[in-house]
Amino acid sequence: MKQHALSISKSLLLNTSAKCLSSIRCLSTEEAVERRNHLFVLEKKRQHEKVGRIEKIEVNYKGVPKDCTLIMNKDISTPYDCARHFSEWHTEMSALALLDGTLHWDMHRPLTESCTLEFQSFNIAEPQQVNKAFWRTCSLLLGACASVAFKSTVPVALHSFPGPDIRSGSFIYDVDLPTLPDWRPTSQELHTLSAEYIRICRQKLPVERLDVSEELALEMFVDNPHKTTQIPSIAKANGKVTLYKVDKHVDISKGPLIGNTGQVGKVAVTAVHKLTGSNDSEVKQLYRFQGVALPTGVILNHFAFSLLIERAKKLNSARSPINPFADTREPAHESIAARA
Amino acid sequence: MNQADVTKLVSKLRIKVPDKHRRLRNIKGPEGRLDKLRKTVTGLIKYERIELNHHRADEARQYAERLISEAIMHGDCHKPTMDIADYWLLEKELIHKLFKVLAPRFENCNTAFTKMYKAPRVVPGRNIDKAIIELRGNPYPSLTNKQWNNRHLLQNVLLDAAKYEYRQAKYAEMAEKIGKNEDAQPKSDDSANSKPVANV
Repeated sequence: MKQHALSISKSLLLNTSAKCLSSIRCLSTEEAVERRNHLFVLEKKRQHEKVGRIEKIEVNYKGVPKDCTLIMNKDISTPYDCARHFSEWHTEMSALALLDGTLHWDMHRPLTESCTLEFQSFNIAEPQQVNKAFWRTCSLLLGACASVAFKSTVPVALHSFPGPDIRSGSFIYDVDLPTLPDWRPTSQELHTLSAEYIRICRQKLPVERLDVSEELALEMFVDNPHKTTQIPSIAKANGKVTLYKVDKHVDISKGPLIGNTGQVGKVAVTAVHKLTGSNDSEVKQLYRFQGVALPTGVILNHFAFSLLIERAKKLNSARSPINPFADTREPAHESIAARA
Repeated sequence: MNQADVTKLVSKLRIKVPDKHRRLRNIKGPEGRLDKLRKTVTGLIKYERIELNHHRADEARQYAERLISEAIMHGDCHKPTMDIADYWLLEKELIHKLFKVLAPRFENCNTAFTKMYKAPRVVPGRNIDKAIIELRGNPYPSLTNKQWNNRHLLQNVLLDAAKYEYRQAKYAEMAEKIGKNEDAQPKSDDSANSKPVANV
């Protein structure tokens, strides 16, 4: 499989002719995921090697057990590495890092300069940003679980997910299933999706981050027509696309995301609704996957959680990416993916 | 009934006191047990929060409670109370702390003076229950997270939104019902009813 992916990426690097593109468009979802993962790993390795001479930075840690200063490696050490200097509890509980009291930083993103560092978990006094990161991560994982849950005969093209809106009651991922024109999932199928989701969470996988150039991003998502149209608008700002990887699933997100999938506790995939596109949009229909989740360690009565599940079954009112005029809110199609 | 009210003679503890004491087995026997407990009580009064084995903590807690309640009840001019304090506190400067700091602190307290938590077991190590005892009102940061009422927590945001939506649905339902009633009862109804109401 790896060989196959390698050969594909090589041939792609050599010539990006239309013929080659068309052959890649025919990749099965699984192969595409594998190939993307492979490219991600290569690029990460390349960026790590590019650092060259290792410089040291001072990280002033604030928090329990006591404030202290750590000497870390510039562009290599992450907040997660800092957390490992303290205890296992720090690595498990920290969802986000807060740099200099203002900047929210992913746990697995290398630090670039001397700074003060705090770890944020879900039960701090002002958890809004952590909650948003959590909701975003849940959406991303929903995409991961949708792309592995189907048989290989059903191609899955992930579209995008909107920015986190917790008050809407559910996190969303809009997915294109071209071979399923009219699919209504049974409760059994939803259970299977939930089980897949829980399987990903139980593995306690780190959520890796990588900034890549537009060309590489386009190459990684060459099999996915939706993402390839979104990438230029996302990269418009600074020519970079931020990618996240969980296990083998690579997706585009603005970030920040939480550090580990083990931090997702109670979770349920609650509904899949069909979205129909407006007449002038390229994509005629999408499926909106919805779910609801709570962080690990939150003890919520099963009745209260069932209320949340019931609510999450209703169609989320977030703007449809393929039919933006159904809602009065203005922002254009591209920006939705950019915000995600 | 000229019998003395026993409950006023002996201070009543606000914690659960088991009917049998623990022996806290050691070489010196009962005396050694008391030595152990004296050390623990002294440590508790001195540091205000200590972590130790559960059995010893639970046993010493009762003596500490009793000591503080005696100090509050009789004050520092009472010879027997002074003797008790002198016996239980191995470091004599703590006697001042007991009467001048702790007694005023707990004077109006209507709960137990100490608090006990279960502590995690040490791994690897002997399989022994650990506990933390602390005096209430100590200056240390809280051991438990009391922020479950924080409305920004994820679960609270979700539940709030669900509640809000439920209310909105109910209001809409009520409004619809009222609208229907108005439609169902034509104007004749209004004219018939308005006069008696005006009279009342």
